[in-house]
Amino acid sequence: MLRNFRTYLANQWGLPKEAIDQLCAQINTKQVDKEGFLLKSGEICPLTFFVEKGLLRMYALNEKGKEDILQFAPENWLVSDRGSVYFNEPSDYYIDAIENTTVVLLDQGFMERISDLGPSFRKLNERLLHNHIRHLNKRVKLLLGASAETRYLNFIKLHPDVLLRVPQWMVASYLGIAPESLSRVRRALAKKNFKPGQRLS
Amino acid sequence: MDVKKIELVVPPRPPHFVGDGFRVHNFIPSSFRLTMERMSPFILLDYNSKFHFPPSEKPKGVGVHPHRGFETVTIAYKGRVAHHDSAGGGGIIGEGGVQWMTAASGVLHKEYHEEGFSKTGGDFQMVQLWVNLPAKYKMTAPKYQALDPKDINAHTLPDNAGRIEVIAGQYKDVRGAASTFTPMHLFNAKLAQDATADFAFPAHYNTALLVIEGEVTVNGEEKAPTDHFVLFENEGESFHIKADREAVVLILSGEPINEPIAAQGPFVMNTREELAQAIEDFNLGKFGYLED
Repeated sequence: MLRNFRTYLANQWGLPKEAIDQLCAQINTKQVDKEGFLLKSGEICPLTFFVEKGLLRMYALNEKGKEDILQFAPENWLVSDRGSVYFNEPSDYYIDAIENTTVVLLDQGFMERISDLGPSFRKLNERLLHNHIRHLNKRVKLLLGASAETRYLNFIKLHPDVLLRVPQWMVASYLGIAPESLSRVRRALAKKNFKPGQRLS
Repeated sequence: MDVKKIELVVPPRPPHFVGDGFRVHNFIPSSFRLTMERMSPFILLDYNSKFHFPPSEKPKGVGVHPHRGFETVTIAYKGRVAHHDSAGGGGIIGEGGVQWMTAASGVLHKEYHEEGFSKTGGDFQMVQLWVNLPAKYKMTAPKYQALDPKDINAHTLPDNAGRIEVIAGQYKDVRGAASTFTPMHLFNAKLAQDATADFAFPAHYNTALLVIEGEVTVNGEEKAPTDHFVLFENEGESFHIKADREAVVLILSGEPINEPIAAQGPFVMNTREELAQAIEDFNLGKFGYLED
């Protein structure tokens, strides 16, 4: 039960089994069916979601009413509108399930309990927050200045299996490019790398 | 020869859609006890039980997706499917036909209701079976075997009792046209009402049947209704089925491949590293390109 979450607590937070048992006894989980929502724009987001199994996405509706995907969250990823959680203000975002998904619900109480385990946990939390900011900056940089191919090559490093799990238009939305541009990039890569009739790799 | 007894009769699980064109009950690997390891070399069985699709201008189906490490066998009972792949191949699987695709090192393909069928709509009924490949064949070149109804050899039962169509392997004096990488038998038993047919396979082969039409009684004791799957024990060799009414029964029996299985989505390999490699190769276009 909650194998991924327990591994996350052990590896990321360096917690011993007893502490993990104690934390896991106090957390709640939720099943959300494909296309079900965990957050809708206008709501205040009180939680951070850890994906135990399945796949979530966080998106906003742009001025044309189209979905702009900010984040995919497959197994072992955290997703939340941190701004809404921290400032207690209505969210601009939606979080929904692309596959039937099991999430662990992490509330402020959980963060406090884990921080109370010692000063090193506050430091670790800070480190995770800064890592998140670093990741977001890199994403903004790619969206502002990188070619479609560079964006795609970065994406498959970060999320190797997501292209197998979502329709291509979602990946294009995440990359900030037209679906036709994603097709063009993938066609060009295939032209370079595909050797028909030969043993692969 | 000892009697091969039934281990389990499995009712169909609630159906789900693969793409928008295949409404399937999954038996292998998600049903109770029907894991890839237990059923090897048969590692997936999706059954689109008879389902009426209304006419559609846009053919329904499943878009471009890859496969590596195994074979897909599509058996069409009703309806027609068109397929295309990244090596430039393609074709139509019509009623009574079988397509045996060795994905091996990798193909990208897509499968849709054939255009004419899509326009008129109609009953659709198919089995898709995934057959594992031993490690030494997983990275060989892909190939197809397309079997039209005329290519499928059959053993005729006496007294107009019906026929056993042999897709692969051997039934009595008749050999199937499909070649396989490991020993296995795949038959469609088409039986008249009250007809009986007997089968014998090595005890250690993983053996099962799926009732496509009608209802049968197995070994004179257990009934298997339409759309039910019967798993046999790995003891004993022979069993018989009697058609309580006119029946079509898919019979499968194969020698297990005793190698580790690492599976994720459309890839079935031996190790996690090989899976990661398959995903990377797919992302980098090494499976080729196919327009959706």
